[in-house]
Amino acid sequence: MATTNRNLPIRDIPFEESSRGAIFAVSFCFLFSLLPHFVNLPLWISGIVALAIGWRAVQNFGLLKPLPKWLLIPLVLAGGVGVFAEYWTIVGRDAGLALLTVMTAFKFLESRNHRDMLILVFLCYFLIATHFLYSQSIPTALLMFATLIIITATLITLNLRDDRVPLLERLHDGARLVGLSIPLMLVLFVLVPRVPGPLWGLQSEQRGGVTGLSDRMAPGLISNLIRSNEVAFRVDFTGPVPPQHQLYWRGPVMSRFNGFAWFQEPRGPLRSSDIYSTDPVVEYTVTLEPNGAEWLLPLDIPARMVKNSTMTKDFQLIGKTDVNDMLRYTMRSRLNYVIGVNESAAYLAKTLEYPKNSNPRTIELGRSLAQRYGSSEAIIDAVLRMYREQPFVYTLQPPALGNNSVDAFLFSTRRGFCEHYAGSFALLMRAAGIPSRIVAGYQGGEFNRVGNYLIVRQSDAHAWTEVWIRGRGWVRVDPTAAVSPSRIEQGLDDALGAESAGFRFANRNPIFGNLLYSWDNLKHSWNDWVLNYDQRKQHDFLQRLEIGIESWSDMVFALVVTLILIIAMFWLVVWYRERPPRPPAYEILFRRLLRKLSRRGFVKQPWEDARAFAARLPLAELPQREQIARIVDLYHHIKYGRRGASTPALSNLRSMVNTLRL
Amino acid sequence: MISVALPRPFRQHFERWFEKRNPPSTDAILLHSRRLYILPTRFGYLFAMLLMFLFLAAINYQNSMAFVLTFMLTSLGLVSLWQTHKNLLGLRVRMQIPRPVFCGEDCEFRFELSHEHNARRHAIGIQYQQQPPVYVSLEPGGRATASLRLPTHRRGEFRPAGITLFTRYPTGLFHCWGWLRFDLPVLVYPRPSTDTRLQQSLIEQYDGETSTSTIEGDDFAGLREHREGESLRHISWKAYAQGKGLLTKTFQGQARPSLWIDWSQLDHGSIDERLSLMAGLVLAAEREQQKYGLRLPTITLEQSLGSAHKHSCLQELAIFRQAESRPEFRIGDD
Repeated sequence: MATTNRNLPIRDIPFEESSRGAIFAVSFCFLFSLLPHFVNLPLWISGIVALAIGWRAVQNFGLLKPLPKWLLIPLVLAGGVGVFAEYWTIVGRDAGLALLTVMTAFKFLESRNHRDMLILVFLCYFLIATHFLYSQSIPTALLMFATLIIITATLITLNLRDDRVPLLERLHDGARLVGLSIPLMLVLFVLVPRVPGPLWGLQSEQRGGVTGLSDRMAPGLISNLIRSNEVAFRVDFTGPVPPQHQLYWRGPVMSRFNGFAWFQEPRGPLRSSDIYSTDPVVEYTVTLEPNGAEWLLPLDIPARMVKNSTMTKDFQLIGKTDVNDMLRYTMRSRLNYVIGVNESAAYLAKTLEYPKNSNPRTIELGRSLAQRYGSSEAIIDAVLRMYREQPFVYTLQPPALGNNSVDAFLFSTRRGFCEHYAGSFALLMRAAGIPSRIVAGYQGGEFNRVGNYLIVRQSDAHAWTEVWIRGRGWVRVDPTAAVSPSRIEQGLDDALGAESAGFRFANRNPIFGNLLYSWDNLKHSWNDWVLNYDQRKQHDFLQRLEIGIESWSDMVFALVVTLILIIAMFWLVVWYRERPPRPPAYEILFRRLLRKLSRRGFVKQPWEDARAFAARLPLAELPQREQIARIVDLYHHIKYGRRGASTPALSNLRSMVNTLRL
Repeated sequence: MISVALPRPFRQHFERWFEKRNPPSTDAILLHSRRLYILPTRFGYLFAMLLMFLFLAAINYQNSMAFVLTFMLTSLGLVSLWQTHKNLLGLRVRMQIPRPVFCGEDCEFRFELSHEHNARRHAIGIQYQQQPPVYVSLEPGGRATASLRLPTHRRGEFRPAGITLFTRYPTGLFHCWGWLRFDLPVLVYPRPSTDTRLQQSLIEQYDGETSTSTIEGDDFAGLREHREGESLRHISWKAYAQGKGLLTKTFQGQARPSLWIDWSQLDHGSIDERLSLMAGLVLAAEREQQKYGLRLPTITLEQSLGSAHKHSCLQELAIFRQAESRPEFRIGDD
């Protein structure tokens, strides 16, 4: 027959007005996708979203007219200007999110038909992605799956064209689709070759609220940091974990003092001759949480460089960019070492400088110590003895210090934290003619016995000093250890006693300690396997599987093979579960008879009854007609008779059909 | 069905391929995978673009969760390709034999859908070319009926080309369809001319060759045995109630002329106009209970009366030189 239809039918389904149910579903979907963002968005944008959804809901009941079309362009422009006024840009993470949200809200406001609703749902899928620019934690991931289910259920609602299907069933169907997608997603995640980014320039975003080390040190700065229980980094050691008192994680080094605070001194890169050690190396992998700072934190003292970083002359390991995303690197360190024996005279002179007009009593004390004791070692011992023997208290709540802060601390309050001790010690050393500098970083860490790794928190932040002794180079001296040995041996909780906020899982909750360790271990594995699954990790992982996936092309090949296997598996499952019921035995036998007859050219027509068909078979050509008629009769008896399919009747039918020779 | 702009040999090949896969059926059509086609919708393409964008963003930000979302949505797309196809797979469609209509009237095609699977099937649409579709859904193992009303534009046998059964459920990213090609044409009679004055003059013109009918009249003449096809209005229900069987009352009176509706007598107008007039005469004669016969160059139907005779006359008029029939009017760019 002549068939002319120039168009595929696909383009030609008209878009109807959306139903009320659809509009409510999309409103909910939109709200839910934005849920975690309401804290990040300025209030007026949340207001616009609420207004758009409210207006559309009222309009839904016919109480308000749809927004006139001409108003839309001014609204969109006003939204753009508003975002610009808020952020002074319209690109980047925060402004981009604000712009996307405002535009989605306006799109929702002007939505009329099915098509608009579908586009909105797609925008919601896109909105989920923006969450990950703020957080990639396990709860965010779980929220993503919940949101995916809701958005997919909304998509199903829009395509259902039947408002009577109950909500729970749509949610169930949405969850089913998402669930079915997970295996394939895992395969893609593991096997799609990762490309190292970025592809285009990124604006570095200021992370609000991240805590970390600062590039200067003054009384109060570190003790503020210490109040945070956040994880700073986690460390997996290749060998055994070194003892607590050797776990000094080296951060910024400060060698300039202005009478109150300590500052960094710009230093050149390290030469290999600056370090002597025969100690075996300790190898470990650090997973650094984003902290907005530039320091990578090696164990004192780093023996190897990390890619994309430089090591300064004073052994600061500095990354190429600030750590704004989780960073993972493998390091080697030596715990016993000699550094800076041949330190330049110019630098040594700088590490002796101090303002002459502040802290006069401290300077006086330092000078008198230098006169009393000849050697540097003796001076150091005397000062440490002073901390130990005089009533110095290690506390998180030191009293306020006046202008000459070191004087006030050493001679009147005598209550302080590591920065007070390190600062006063370093100044005393300089006054006594011993070059000294402050090193900030972290000390210690909590061993997670569930996952066999070390958790270092912000509360482990610490400051100590290094003094230069002729022939021995820069030597670490931790005056806090003199005042509170337990801070170094056991950690902050023990050192603070009653003041402690219970930073460590084991101390905080003896019963649930293991549970908390397991939860932290889960987070650590999440960081390790999900968030750090980059090109190198992918390569290492696939190589470790030892299934011959070595290169980019192997990965693509494996991907294709796995996809084919998954599709085949799906089809098999569906075919098995939804195969039509097996026809009864007599039907199969009867069909066998029909097949035999059709080979001879006798075909039963669909409208023909079996008996009528048997009756019209020509006797001349088919001498077996009698037998065929008997088969048909028996078939009829079994199918319609009162006795049904009895075993003897069936076996009789089978033998008759099978013995029939045509 | 789908005429793509293809060079001629390819096009013939394509049509042969299509014909082989979609043979017109007089019985049920089972939508197995060889009869089903699936392509992305506009939203499917939009979704793919969104995925590309997400993928680039994930690479750029080296954001693992963005990769997870991209791959999740990719596999959601692939799963919905499968689910959309599955929503139609194994459906059995039967079409009821459509009733004949007069040209210009809508004819109704009723489809019975059934399946034996234990999954529910949602939002299955039936669509004729570019017209708004009709949607049905099926319970597990259930059945449903849907009817399409199609306008008719020309007389003859009408086999609607381009009726599709389609679905976009669940996600709307893919459009899966199968062609419903049934070899069950609907007979479209010529549009009966309603010009009564012209009919009257024609009937008068025929008077010359009328013969006398003995059946029709005003005065009661007696009873005789009822014959099939005779009007029920003349059955003597009184006699039937008395148990005498079906008897027909006969009347005698002024003889009514019986007439020939003759193609050769009409010498003006196009084929369709002449057939239209003839169809009008058939209906008028039937209304007047006047015996009529049909003379066409190809066939002659003897003078008679009754529903069966009317339909066979109209059928002959419908298919007479069907190839030369012109559509009466156009809708859209057919």
